[in-house]
Amino acid sequence: MIRIENLYKRYHKHHGSNWVLKDINIEIPTNVSVGLVGRNGAGKSTLLRLIGGMDSPDKGRIDSDSRISWPIGLSGGLQGSMTGRQNVRFVARIHGSGAAADEIVSRVEDFAEIGAAFDEPVRTYSSGMRSRLNFGLSLAFDFDVYLSDEATAVGDRLFRAKATQAFRDRIGKASIIMVSHSEGILKDLCQAGIWLHQGQAIWFDDINDAIDAYHQIGSNKKG
Amino acid sequence: MLSTRTPWQVTRSVWYAMFVREALARTMADRMAWFWMLFEPIAMVVMMIVIRTVIMGRIRHIDGAEFIPWMVTGLFGFYLVRENMMRPIGAIEANKGLFAYRQVKPVDPVLVRCYLEGLLKSFIFVLFIMVGALLEFGLLPAQPLAALWAWMSLWCLGLGTGLIFSALAGLVPEIGKILRIISMPLLIISGVIFPLNFVPHDLLGYVMWNPIVHGLETLRSAFFPLYRPVTGTSLLYLWYWALVMMALGLMLHLRFELRLKRQ
Repeated sequence: MIRIENLYKRYHKHHGSNWVLKDINIEIPTNVSVGLVGRNGAGKSTLLRLIGGMDSPDKGRIDSDSRISWPIGLSGGLQGSMTGRQNVRFVARIHGSGAAADEIVSRVEDFAEIGAAFDEPVRTYSSGMRSRLNFGLSLAFDFDVYLSDEATAVGDRLFRAKATQAFRDRIGKASIIMVSHSEGILKDLCQAGIWLHQGQAIWFDDINDAIDAYHQIGSNKKG
Repeated sequence: MLSTRTPWQVTRSVWYAMFVREALARTMADRMAWFWMLFEPIAMVVMMIVIRTVIMGRIRHIDGAEFIPWMVTGLFGFYLVRENMMRPIGAIEANKGLFAYRQVKPVDPVLVRCYLEGLLKSFIFVLFIMVGALLEFGLLPAQPLAALWAWMSLWCLGLGTGLIFSALAGLVPEIGKILRIISMPLLIISGVIFPLNFVPHDLLGYVMWNPIVHGLETLRSAFFPLYRPVTGTSLLYLWYWALVMMALGLMLHLRFELRLKRQ
């Protein structure tokens, strides 16, 4: 369970600073996968980073009794000058895997299916290869909650199917909190939804309702 | 595998992982990294000796020490401090990608880099001493323990400056550029290539404010039994600096951790 209480967050910019997230109170139950929807800049990634402990709120607090992954996404988490294998080893080491490191490396290698590129520096990867590696890396550890920031956006059809399957296999043991603009994958993987709008977060028990609410605002603006 | 670990266990595994990463990057990254690691100090020593001989050809004499060993100890001691000051500045930037893992703090790459830098510099210095001994340059320390202690002190001084400036340069990037500019004059006022005995007495008081001088002079007097360090040399003074800077640096890293992590 992740409990978010009176959470405020803003970034200091050149022209003042508005609250990105304003007084957010949400409780995410254990084993419920949640999709975050909202417009660009609505604070989806910010909320995910806060939950992942990469950033700290200006006010309020986040309590959790689960093991939460780092935000899996296109940027961050991988060091460009190291090879894929070295990156995986590094992450295995900081998680204190010790003897299990070899097993983790082979698990990631199997999942990512990037072939010989696994031993090339990550900066030479395409964005799809990056996301494969990143996703496989996070799945090699047994987290309770996985955070995904558009991690599957650039994956091909097969990879998406694989990622979906990997999560289906873990239902009951793990859940996912994901940011995505692809509604198909949200509907596939998530049960509940959070719609971020004007600094507020609105909880929906059904992901379809969250997507509908998000769409309605979009069409109202146009009309 | 992911059971709750103590903070110390987490930190240790981060340091271990970081150390492997930095060591690989330093020694394997580009081709001939090893060659340059050895060739750079040799070229540096030769260049400094040439400069010195051209500028002050006649006054090569230094009381109680051979000229070349005197230069070598000064240069190595100085570069130990300088590298420990400069290397950490890039450390935070170079490891930005890894702050995605909440186990990794901005201070970790700084500490690990200073540790690795000290190890490499010590290794190369020992290599120089051994080769120097074989060629009978008189580069063997007369009091090895005292030399080791002075070397460690300089290392800690470097670590202190590294901690402070890595945090400051992370907040204000211009500081890194300014440091690069002032590191050359620092070489001269630290008494690395010119003995400070030539400095007028009333000016010497100010020169001795610089803690690097104290470390270098102590290091030299441990190497050469007849060498008389500049009056007022005190390793304790260096340690005041080192301890204060380490404390201040750690405080800066604690206070601005989130700002250093950002982006």
